[in-house]
Amino acid sequence: MKVELFYSPGCSQCAVVREDLKATAERTVAGIEWRELNVLEDLDYAVELGVLSLPAIAVDGELIFSSLPTPHQLRDALIRRSTTRN
Amino acid sequence: MLKIGKLAALVDVSIDTLRYYEREGLIEPVDRSESGYRVYDKESARRIHFIKQAQHCGFTLAEIRELLVLRGREKACCGDVRSRAIEKKLQIEHKIRVMRAMSKALDQLIVECADEAQPVKECTIIAALERATVLMPAPGHES
Repeated sequence: MKVELFYSPGCSQCAVVREDLKATAERTVAGIEWRELNVLEDLDYAVELGVLSLPAIAVDGELIFSSLPTPHQLRDALIRRSTTRN
Repeated sequence: MLKIGKLAALVDVSIDTLRYYEREGLIEPVDRSESGYRVYDKESARRIHFIKQAQHCGFTLAEIRELLVLRGREKACCGDVRSRAIEKKLQIEHKIRVMRAMSKALDQLIVECADEAQPVKECTIIAALERATVLMPAPGHES
């Protein structure tokens, strides 16, 4: 499973929360791939996924959160997706 | 100090537009004259220039209201404004993508309707629109 967090540089809100989210994702799904994408460097990809606001989170190439979730919300979403996949 | 007519002329917008801005909370008169007319100052003119420029960049009035709040907030920094500009760029890029897809769909319809002499009842464009077959490419699958 691949989690991608789109952020804009200088977003203080992102910096504070993303370590927590990353740790939550890694605890929830073994071997998860965590990527942090500067939206200015990956603009086409962000637009392709439908990212319209920041920060945003996509899982396996699908936009799941258009604002930062709480660690609990992320954990629930990842569990739901891994259950669906299995 | 300027009455609404003078302000409108100065910033090149209609009086109705200024009243609309006022209803939307984007500008407000600094005072009322003795006869009850709204009175504005040069800061009002600067604010309206700002609103017009932001509209040209694609910001909605609600977004402009937020920008104006940021503009006047001492603790706000340029990064707050930049984030909004980046989000606006994302929205514009998304719209461009949708418009390109629409243009491509129209290309296809135009090519399919090569016989201009056909009666309108047999027009392939009308038929395609009725069948709703002008499908937009799914995100990520634009060729």
